[in-house]
Amino acid sequence: MTQTPNLAPAKLEWRHVTKRFGANKVLDGLNLSVGKGRSLALLGRSGQGKSVTIKVALGLMRADGGAVLLDGVDVTHLHERERRASFAGIGMLFQGAALFDSLSVWENVGFRLINADGTTRREARDRAIEALALVRLGPEVADRYPAELSGGMQKRVGLARAIVGAPSLLFFDEPTTGLDPITAGAINELIVDKVRSLGCTAVSITHDLTSARMIADDIAMLDHGKIVWHGAAADLDHADHPLVRAFVTGKGDGVE
Amino acid sequence: MTTEFYTIPGQDKIMRAHLGETLMGFVVLAFAGLFLAYALGVAGLGGAHGAYGLTARFGEAGGLQPGAKVTISGVKVGSVSAVTIDPKTFLAVIRVSMDQAVQVPSDSTAKITSDGLLGGSHIAIAPGGAADNLKPGGEISNTQGTVDLFGLIGQVMRPHDAAPAPTPSATPAAKTPAALPDMGGQ
Amino acid sequence: MEAGAPTGVIGLVATIGRATLGGVAAIGKVANFAGRGIRAAVTPPWYPRQILGQFMAVGFLSLPVVGLTAWFTGAALALNIYSGGDRFNAETVMPQIVALGIARELGPVLAALMLAGRVASAMASEIGAMRATEQVDAMVTLSTDPRRYLIAPRLIAATISLPLLTLIADIIGVAGGMQVSKLLIDLSPSIYIINTIDFLRSWDVESGLIKSAVFGFIIGLMGCYHGDHAQGGARGVGRATTAAMVSSAVLILAADYVLTSIFARL
Ligand SMILES: Nc1ncnc2c1ncn2[C@@H]1O[C@H](COP(=O)(O)OP(=O)(O)O)[C@@H](O)[C@H]1O
Ligand SMILES: [Mg+2]
Repeated sequence: MTQTPNLAPAKLEWRHVTKRFGANKVLDGLNLSVGKGRSLALLGRSGQGKSVTIKVALGLMRADGGAVLLDGVDVTHLHERERRASFAGIGMLFQGAALFDSLSVWENVGFRLINADGTTRREARDRAIEALALVRLGPEVADRYPAELSGGMQKRVGLARAIVGAPSLLFFDEPTTGLDPITAGAINELIVDKVRSLGCTAVSITHDLTSARMIADDIAMLDHGKIVWHGAAADLDHADHPLVRAFVTGKGDGVE
Repeated sequence: MTTEFYTIPGQDKIMRAHLGETLMGFVVLAFAGLFLAYALGVAGLGGAHGAYGLTARFGEAGGLQPGAKVTISGVKVGSVSAVTIDPKTFLAVIRVSMDQAVQVPSDSTAKITSDGLLGGSHIAIAPGGAADNLKPGGEISNTQGTVDLFGLIGQVMRPHDAAPAPTPSATPAAKTPAALPDMGGQ
Repeated sequence: MEAGAPTGVIGLVATIGRATLGGVAAIGKVANFAGRGIRAAVTPPWYPRQILGQFMAVGFLSLPVVGLTAWFTGAALALNIYSGGDRFNAETVMPQIVALGIARELGPVLAALMLAGRVASAMASEIGAMRATEQVDAMVTLSTDPRRYLIAPRLIAATISLPLLTLIADIIGVAGGMQVSKLLIDLSPSIYIINTIDFLRSWDVESGLIKSAVFGFIIGLMGCYHGDHAQGGARGVGRATTAAMVSSAVLILAADYVLTSIFARL
């Protein structure tokens, strides 16, 4: 059911992770791994725990049981300070963009550079404008504030913020949801480019099979707190799991 | 998606976003600064603006409190600003602040007068006739201490008691024991 | 209460016990939060832009409300001494009572209560909204400690700003009292001021400033704590805002009593 479809050493691995909120059991012994330099798309219906899966891996939520391994090292019980240090190589795009309201667009994008890397504000601004260009935002938005941007623009700023520090592991929580097809295509290309050219490892949550096929080497389907299907993107059409079939055909028959 | 319900202006925008409050802040600061400067000016040399200080020593300051008024002919011309003790002579040292408009001849007499049996006391100044006035910070050397009412009453009622201590006084002017007429005013 | 829970006296005792344990646990959580916050505030790295911004928001922008409050308090105090104090000739010591009341008690407490309404609530809503929209999580993934970036600047700014605001309140409160005494008993302003300055001991003002530093810390702490623990979206943020305001006001008054009684014994 959850065979690892590649032989590359795992960059990130979830081992029997459980997480519940009160009576709501969200993750129920989840096993999943992503090979180094691979791009994984995590599929699943809304509210099945995809965002929680990523947050547990990042340590933003504490798992109730199980372990998360980064580069083969158990990071489940890292001390806060060590965890923050490990974030140096990690970029995360949040589902709601999570831009800092009180900072301008370029200060958002350059946040890590200014506040953690000690880069001067002038240089951080230049690099932020470069990163904004990658997500197809011109320098004129650099001095605007998040509240002045549309949802899609905020998402792109969040994406620029995630990739600016040359990370080796990237998380994208619904990177193209709410974007027009042209911008969505550009974002997908950017993700592919980051993974292929820079050797990043990427985990993307998406509902959009077209996007998933474009950006992902591997696809995992999350349902009822477990990975119910995990395979190469190319095998998606031949999968016999009813939920995967339902995703492919867009018909919900036979799925409870 | 950001919150629609709370917009937090950027650090650089704070002053612009709160222009009115920023201006008012400067107004408040300026007001406090000016008032403080004025107050320190008044207190400093005790005379730049409308008031000057004088001292007077009394053998008995009974009941006199800071803030008590200073009168001439029953009209308020100043107030007591401090009541302390001279550790050498054990005399009460009274500082008063006087209205700048009222200059007191150098030979004036200060007398502590009771406002009533249960009331406070105040200082009444009887102006002298000298040509020169007391300078700011100067001392009223002619003083008359408070009258120990109960002592006096006791003296009248039981004249055979051990010698009643006459009201001590710092100055020759007060050598004559304070007289009963003070009680007449009650 | 779930089925089979004890009822009657035992149930009551159990409820009281649970509430007590809950209260103790809450105190523990706040103390823990305070300890970590203080550590972040006194050890590097610091974020000077954040600290400066908070001084601006907490201190400078509070000047108008604190100044107005102080003026009216000084004036009302003088008025009360005039109308109520004539029973024992108190109007002769109007400057002294106003100065004492403002410096030792009313200046620190009223400035602090104004800030509890203005600042503690704003802090709770800012940080609560940042929690609700995952901005705090985002900050962590950007290798920045929210405790240093968000909490410490607010604790520092509140603890230092409030004594400075109180000093301004003391000055303006005396001015308010002076205005009233001029109107009511025609006391010359210079005599009013000389009486005030001669009468006040430096400890009167200093004890007020020590109090207000403690109040400032309480305001920063309650604002940040309730914001950081806001749960349940916009409504949770609203609750946190109210809780920050109410709890800081209550703690300020309690701390005022405790500190005053300690000072009285010195
Ligand atoms: N902080 C939280 N507190 C309580 N419940 C949560 C929290 N975060 C997520 N959940 C619950 O966990 C479940 C999975 O959420 P999520 O991972 O966001 O779903 P999705 O797969 O759409 O990303 C949902 O039922 C949600 O209500
Ligand atoms: Mg989600």
